[in-house]
Amino acid sequence: MLSPYLLLLLVPAPPLAVFLILGLDPFFLRRKAVQALALLGGIAPFFAMLPLLGLCLGTECYGVMPIFTLVFGQSEVALALLLDPMSTLVGLTVAAVGALVITYAIDYMSDARIADLRRFFALMNLFLAAMLTMVLAGDTITFFFGWELMGLCSFFLIAYNTSLPQAVAAGRKAFIITRFADAFLLAGLLLLFLEANSVRLDVLIPAGTMMTEERHVVIALLLLAGALGKSAQVPFHTWLPSAMAGPTPVSALLHSATMVAAGAFMLARFSPIVMSEPAVQTIAAIFGAGTAAFGALSAIFQTDVKRLLAYSSISQIGFMVLAIGLGAPEVAIAHFVVHAMFKSLLFLAAGDITHGSDLGTSLQAMRGALRRRPISFLAYVAGAASLAGLPIVTAGWWSKEAILATAWEGGAFGIAIWVLALLTATCTAIYAFRPVFEALQPEPAHISHARRGHPVALDLHYRPRWGSGFITLPLVLLAAGSLLGGIIVGPIIRFLGAEAPHPAHLPELVAAVAPFVGMAGAAAITFVPALAAAVAGARDMRRPTRLDRKFQRWVIEPYVRLVRFLAGNRIGARAEAELELRHVQIVRWLSRGARMDGIYQALFVRPFVNIVRWLNGHRGGTVDPVGTFPVSLALQGTQALVERLAHDRFDRFWMRLANRLVRLWVLVCAIQTGRSRDYALGAALGTAALLVIAWGTTWN
Amino acid sequence: MGYDMELTALILLPFFGGIAALFAGRWGRDAERWVAIAALGLALLILISSFFSDGDGRWIAIERYDWAPSLGLQVILAMDGLSGALLVVSLALGIVSVIVSWKITEYSGLLNAALLWTVAASNGVFLSFDLLVFAFFWELMLVPSFLLISVWGHGDREAAALKFLVFNAVAGLGLLAAVFYLGATGETVTFDAFEVAERQIPHGVQVLLLLGFAAAFLVKLPVPPLHAWLPDAHTQAPTAGSILLAGLLLKTGAYGLFRFPPMLFPEGFATLAPFGLALGAFGSIYGALLACGQTDAKRLVAYTSVAHMSIVLMGICGGVYFSLMGAGVEMVAHAFSASALFLLIGALYDRTGTRDLRELGGLQQNAPRFAAAFAVFFSAALAMPGTANFLGEALVITGMFQVNWIFASITLISLVISVVYATRLFKRVVFGKSRRTEALEDLTLREMGPIVLLAVATLLFGMLPQLLMGALEGAVEAALVPVTVP
Repeated sequence: MLSPYLLLLLVPAPPLAVFLILGLDPFFLRRKAVQALALLGGIAPFFAMLPLLGLCLGTECYGVMPIFTLVFGQSEVALALLLDPMSTLVGLTVAAVGALVITYAIDYMSDARIADLRRFFALMNLFLAAMLTMVLAGDTITFFFGWELMGLCSFFLIAYNTSLPQAVAAGRKAFIITRFADAFLLAGLLLLFLEANSVRLDVLIPAGTMMTEERHVVIALLLLAGALGKSAQVPFHTWLPSAMAGPTPVSALLHSATMVAAGAFMLARFSPIVMSEPAVQTIAAIFGAGTAAFGALSAIFQTDVKRLLAYSSISQIGFMVLAIGLGAPEVAIAHFVVHAMFKSLLFLAAGDITHGSDLGTSLQAMRGALRRRPISFLAYVAGAASLAGLPIVTAGWWSKEAILATAWEGGAFGIAIWVLALLTATCTAIYAFRPVFEALQPEPAHISHARRGHPVALDLHYRPRWGSGFITLPLVLLAAGSLLGGIIVGPIIRFLGAEAPHPAHLPELVAAVAPFVGMAGAAAITFVPALAAAVAGARDMRRPTRLDRKFQRWVIEPYVRLVRFLAGNRIGARAEAELELRHVQIVRWLSRGARMDGIYQALFVRPFVNIVRWLNGHRGGTVDPVGTFPVSLALQGTQALVERLAHDRFDRFWMRLANRLVRLWVLVCAIQTGRSRDYALGAALGTAALLVIAWGTTWN
Repeated sequence: MGYDMELTALILLPFFGGIAALFAGRWGRDAERWVAIAALGLALLILISSFFSDGDGRWIAIERYDWAPSLGLQVILAMDGLSGALLVVSLALGIVSVIVSWKITEYSGLLNAALLWTVAASNGVFLSFDLLVFAFFWELMLVPSFLLISVWGHGDREAAALKFLVFNAVAGLGLLAAVFYLGATGETVTFDAFEVAERQIPHGVQVLLLLGFAAAFLVKLPVPPLHAWLPDAHTQAPTAGSILLAGLLLKTGAYGLFRFPPMLFPEGFATLAPFGLALGAFGSIYGALLACGQTDAKRLVAYTSVAHMSIVLMGICGGVYFSLMGAGVEMVAHAFSASALFLLIGALYDRTGTRDLRELGGLQQNAPRFAAAFAVFFSAALAMPGTANFLGEALVITGMFQVNWIFASITLISLVISVVYATRLFKRVVFGKSRRTEALEDLTLREMGPIVLLAVATLLFGMLPQLLMGALEGAVEAALVPVTVP
């Protein structure tokens, strides 16, 4: 009998197959065929997940689908897909959001060249398949496979517009930073493997909780570092705002259900290991809460709606990491599900509103949205309400409330975190509604002219008020989910095997007021020009309006008086000017993500480039000091030897001998005078000598 | 087993095929290329069929011939999984290199002969277990590759060929001296590696002899600071030459190191292995850093080879199961992925006349098939899971964690730097715009064949690693040496 878990294989298989078909393009597909295939690959996983959900709700929610088993010497490595409550729930969310984003992209990308279209949808499908593989993975190898494949896809997708240098640079940045963090994760997973002698998650995680203290801390920290990198948490967050250079559907998928959320999912998956080590858990909570606050503050000061949403993702995933740090991975997963809905909705709606605008994706491009794209605008409002967490009526409130309640129950440390999280939630409402109020402002003149068919601006991108079904359907469905999804937050937490936290009434009431305070703040910084300018990081140069004067009188002056009072009236006019300057600096600092880019530039990039330059020489030639060392050593050695041997000692001996001989010859030459009497004398002396010798020999 | 001559055929077929290719030009157009492909294809068939015979434990086949018994000379050929895997690589890359140089008409008979002789000699290296014959094939390899670089190379080819020859020939002397010492000092004169392995050699002598062996192997590998010949040789060699250099010659170095030191000098190897680890750790970072700064695409890939082969060195010197297995897998994986990158860059050079990264670009827009092929091997170069390269590096890192976590961290850093150079190559070649690639002809069918073959091999061994790891098991078990790192 076929195992029902075979269906697990059918979840990532369709998008993978579509990737292969679109990537290899054996049939020379036409535009319509490419779109149809992409849609098929995007939607199929959702329908494969549904029966699995039924299985999970009906009978036992646990099943393994083995793929194959490797034998490594003594250890076995069993690759498998795993069905359990967490993978079912997250898999379903990912499949649903992925399907809707790809549906949306059919219309959004309809202007692209056919080759680009094929590449885009091939990669989107691969991206989706990778995330689904990772979510359903039953072992660390499959898990890491999906994890890394997502990184690769994000590189290609962010750099989709390949002729745009900043898009390519953003893709590289994303890939390099996440790969750096992945090295930590890989180290952690390999150490776990060595510890447990298995890669099966259901064997490895229990084994991981029973290690020696030292190992345990190291592994938990390595896993945490990997998650922080993938999820763009401080200090790895810089790649995410830059990654906005990619097309909007890419951002929507990257931020909501895949890639960025993968880090939080990984932590939830390995939460038994992280949670059994209190020190690591505290670190995770601090990083999560800190990132949430930082992201929310930075988001307020963004002037580009996509960058604003990027910081919002950083902040919201900070909330998930915080929940895991507080020991409630189930709550984190609930927030994951809700966040996936409203964040993809926000991206899709904002993308649709600003599509083709000559203002790019800046906040001004949102203006006049209600008239131009009413459905998208309303969808955006629904998403913003959910993001801000308006009480009762939005899903965001329920999941965020669960996190806050968990913090409230966590003792003194927990209450400190709760206060920080509450302030963050207020800031969240500010940045969530800032684009909404911005959109209510009158639109820039040239765009409204274009809409009325003004001859001057006819060539500007003009779109009908009502979008096609490919745009509308995802927006409506996601908006419904973002608002009504609150009903399922409690069941989700129970489904994952935990009790939903019951907050006390007082903190709940306070938390319910926070979003409205934030909304008021958003309205103030949009409609009060002085404040808008302050938020934009510039001094107010315009003449104050009536609203400005009221604001000055009722808010600023009391505030300044309060500060004066607290400081004992010691602040002079000069100090005030300095204070304002400092304020501008802080705003700029926040709007650029704490200038972490500059720090990285100084800390890593520049030294790296300098080392490479030093090794290579500045003008592209190769210096390669280490490689040339033995060569130059050999050359110099040979040279020294040759020079010495050039004065050949044997040669010198023979030459000296020859010289002596020559000298002897000169001496001998003196005898040769040419006069016959000398020769006669010589002959006589010789004969005499011979006679003497002959006489001598007769002696004895 | 027995008196089948399949292993001999694996060496002689390419050798005589080469001689035939020399003269085949007279028989018809492209006859020399078809002769070469036929010889290599036949050898590949024989090799694959021999995998299905029952071997003798770890050995798939062993052949012994007496040559000059009074001098202790014999020919011993033996094949286990490691040799078998590398022989597949060697024959497959031989075929690829013949196809790649299809359009070179200059002395094409000699060209194909040189390619085949390189394959024949490296097959001899992979099979010989008689040390003298091993050393013979080791030196023999240099001759045809020297020809390849100096006759069909680019740019300053004579100097590059000479550098290659001098480095490797000088280092080969160390091997030769050690082999002669081993042969002459036994009770009877013999060069049989199996017999030599039985001997008890004093520790100090082991270390000295190992240094002689290592000199040859480390230069061929190559590991910094002995790598200076490689970038020049790679850059100036023709595409086929680069493929054989990266795919075969470097692997003979790794193979020798994998096979002989643990077998012949286990104690000496255990003493020197930490130095090998340190050298490999240095090389893996150094090669990667240099790759980041290159402007010549081929030079860039050459330096990545230095980095990856340094990781192989670390794996071998780790001496534990995982690291050795990783080294074996990485050897095969790198042979495929590096040759494929050389092939692509060579094809691009043939079309645009430049390998300068600053002048290239725009393949994504102008030649999508080129771009897709680059993407596949780009992922392999940065060890994406699913490619055999990842498997190899992950296994080495696992082994390093068992040996010493510092070496593991260094390997991980090298892995991170690999993203920097790989994305740089990709950005400069595939993304962006360039005047030179505007009217570029996309990959032709003849170029696609080898690329698809290499891509399939890379992904197949990555996705179904049992194919490769099962074969390597025996050789890995034999190379286990307890290494202690202080």
